[in-house]
Amino acid sequence: MSSKTRLILHDLRPGDAAAVLPAQSEECLLFAAYPAVRYCVGCYGCWTKTPGKCVIRDRGADMAGMMPKCGEFIILSRLVFGGLSPDIKAVMDRSIGFVLPFFRIVKGEMHHVPRVEHPPDLRYVFYGADMTEREKETAKALAKANSINLASGRSEIQFFPTFRDCKEVLK
Amino acid sequence: MKVAIINGSPKLRESASQLLAEAVQKKLGNQTECAICSPIGPEGSEILKKIEGANALVFVFPLYIDGLPSHLLRFLDESLQDISDKASGAMVYSIVNNGFFEGRQNAVAFEIMRNFADKAGLKWGQGIGVGGGGMLRSVGIGRGPLKKVGNTLDLLSKNIINARSAQNYTVDPDFPRALYIAVAHLSWRASARKNKVNSKQMLVKP
Repeated sequence: MSSKTRLILHDLRPGDAAAVLPAQSEECLLFAAYPAVRYCVGCYGCWTKTPGKCVIRDRGADMAGMMPKCGEFIILSRLVFGGLSPDIKAVMDRSIGFVLPFFRIVKGEMHHVPRVEHPPDLRYVFYGADMTEREKETAKALAKANSINLASGRSEIQFFPTFRDCKEVLK
Repeated sequence: MKVAIINGSPKLRESASQLLAEAVQKKLGNQTECAICSPIGPEGSEILKKIEGANALVFVFPLYIDGLPSHLLRFLDESLQDISDKASGAMVYSIVNNGFFEGRQNAVAFEIMRNFADKAGLKWGQGIGVGGGGMLRSVGIGRGPLKKVGNTLDLLSKNIINARSAQNYTVDPDFPRALYIAVAHLSWRASARKNKVNSKQMLVKP
């Protein structure tokens, strides 16, 4: 993987993913959040037992190691209450080993110290019917907060009515 | 009046959320019928029965990457219609705690909970953001630097009893932030040492 590599974390079902996402390649890695990985139990083992990696042994433990090796990290998620879908959130919660347990001050607030020197840019691609303006505003606030907490230099956000409409921006 | 307090921590016991949930339960005292429940654990399957007929739902959870822990989010997403039907007309309150010092960092999670309430056709009550979550279990709610946390829960409890909506409110510990961070760093290193992980190993890059 290199800084040119894109990593797409998505919550699509296999048939839908094949129809919408680019093929997996050296430049484009795919991570399916469905079927769901086990949920984070808040043990902090990824900071104090096996630093950088979740202690729960399923594929959800792989994401924290993949994120820092790509230049752009794209999250394709159904918009749920203005945030990530449960399948995507389960993967993200299991990936906090991506940052260190230690703290620093950013823009006057306490945040985690990044584990790596060059965290990837973040792009959120949300899909869903009947999004409210309030939900979109929540998602924008979430992307902004995540970009600070995941120490990303840049974050983008896009909204589409269906996952099929996302195909063009994921090419 | 019936109140259901939903503990949204993945740690069923010995969590900051459990402590906050018990504190609110105590403050609601004899004036309400008030039970604490969780979507997981041995009684997880009973949660919809516990919230049935509730006038208020109080969600208490830790902040996970600026949002809800995934198991709580899954419960709200998958059970939206059931919650909407069983707790029809209920007010929704949320107490969110985070390990950062600033309680205001819980604000996005309030918005997610408010959007949930809107989708479920329930009425948003209030969000309470508690910063310095690392101190809750060691110091105790309402004591010393966490006196304001206790006072905030008093006000929230009154709002719940009166079925009142109020502005979201966030609270920080009355404690020097630099010292809070220094203690947190010592605590992380001590936890790692117990697992035979030294300070340098904690920083390992993938």
